[in-house]
Amino acid sequence: MKTKMDFPAINDRRPEGLKEDGTPYRVLIVDDSMFVTKQIGQILTSEGFEIAGVASDGQEAIDKYKELYPNVDLVTMDITMPKMDGVTALEKIMEFDKNAKVVMISALGKQDLVKKSLLLGAKNYIVKPLDRKKVLERIVMSLKK
Amino acid sequence: MRVEYINPFVESAYNVLKEVLNCQVNRGELYLKSTSTPVLGVAALVGLAGDVEGRILFDMSKETAIKVASVMNGEELKELDDLAKATITELANMITAQAVTKLHDLGFKFDLTPPAIFTGDNMEVTTAEVEALIVPMVIPYGKVEINVAIRERL
Repeated sequence: MKTKMDFPAINDRRPEGLKEDGTPYRVLIVDDSMFVTKQIGQILTSEGFEIAGVASDGQEAIDKYKELYPNVDLVTMDITMPKMDGVTALEKIMEFDKNAKVVMISALGKQDLVKKSLLLGAKNYIVKPLDRKKVLERIVMSLKK
Repeated sequence: MRVEYINPFVESAYNVLKEVLNCQVNRGELYLKSTSTPVLGVAALVGLAGDVEGRILFDMSKETAIKVASVMNGEELKELDDLAKATITELANMITAQAVTKLHDLGFKFDLTPPAIFTGDNMEVTTAEVEALIVPMVIPYGKVEINVAIRERL
């Protein structure tokens, strides 16, 4: 007899990163810090999400989004970045795809920019330092919006 | 230099270190330096300009920096590579952001520079005309010195 029969799957929860059809949500991570990119990537892949792409400034974010579209479900967007900041990139992405789901990643003390982002159509925001629970909660909530 | 400038940095360094490293943090004795201060090996420098001006330095030994970066990344880093430097930069960003929010709430308005990381041996930092207040934070991986030299704009 297969062991599966002996041990009922009591933890048979679908990972947060999978859609109902079992395919992963595809996320574009935008951050100029290699550390933050890696941190978000680790948290998301551990829950079954797929990292569709990574960008390190606003302009690259827009280019990557257009390239990936429509195979991208969510963007995590840093606010302070070189070349083009995250708020401007958000605005351009929303112009391109009004249904885009963008979650802002912010350091503390950027309340005005976070507010502006939410008005421009960002679905949610996460304040650094990032932790697993906070990141997953906000991202899952945004995907359901 | 007024002590009220350093307190937000000390508080926020304590909170952030505790949160990201998940360890005991002990605050050492505050001391004042009006001359050059030795730099421990890896220093993240953030500049301030506005109602108040000066700089903050987050200073630690190379070994401490590598260990701190390893814990923050959840993997053992062998050297101070690009990822380790990006990690220390982010640590400086988080501490500064939290402290600056407190100072803004107190009514001080100023801008920050992105952190710059300095590494090397036998370095010293001199801030002419501004005394530096230094608070060592002792963690299991060594110590991180919060070195603040800020004055009101004349």
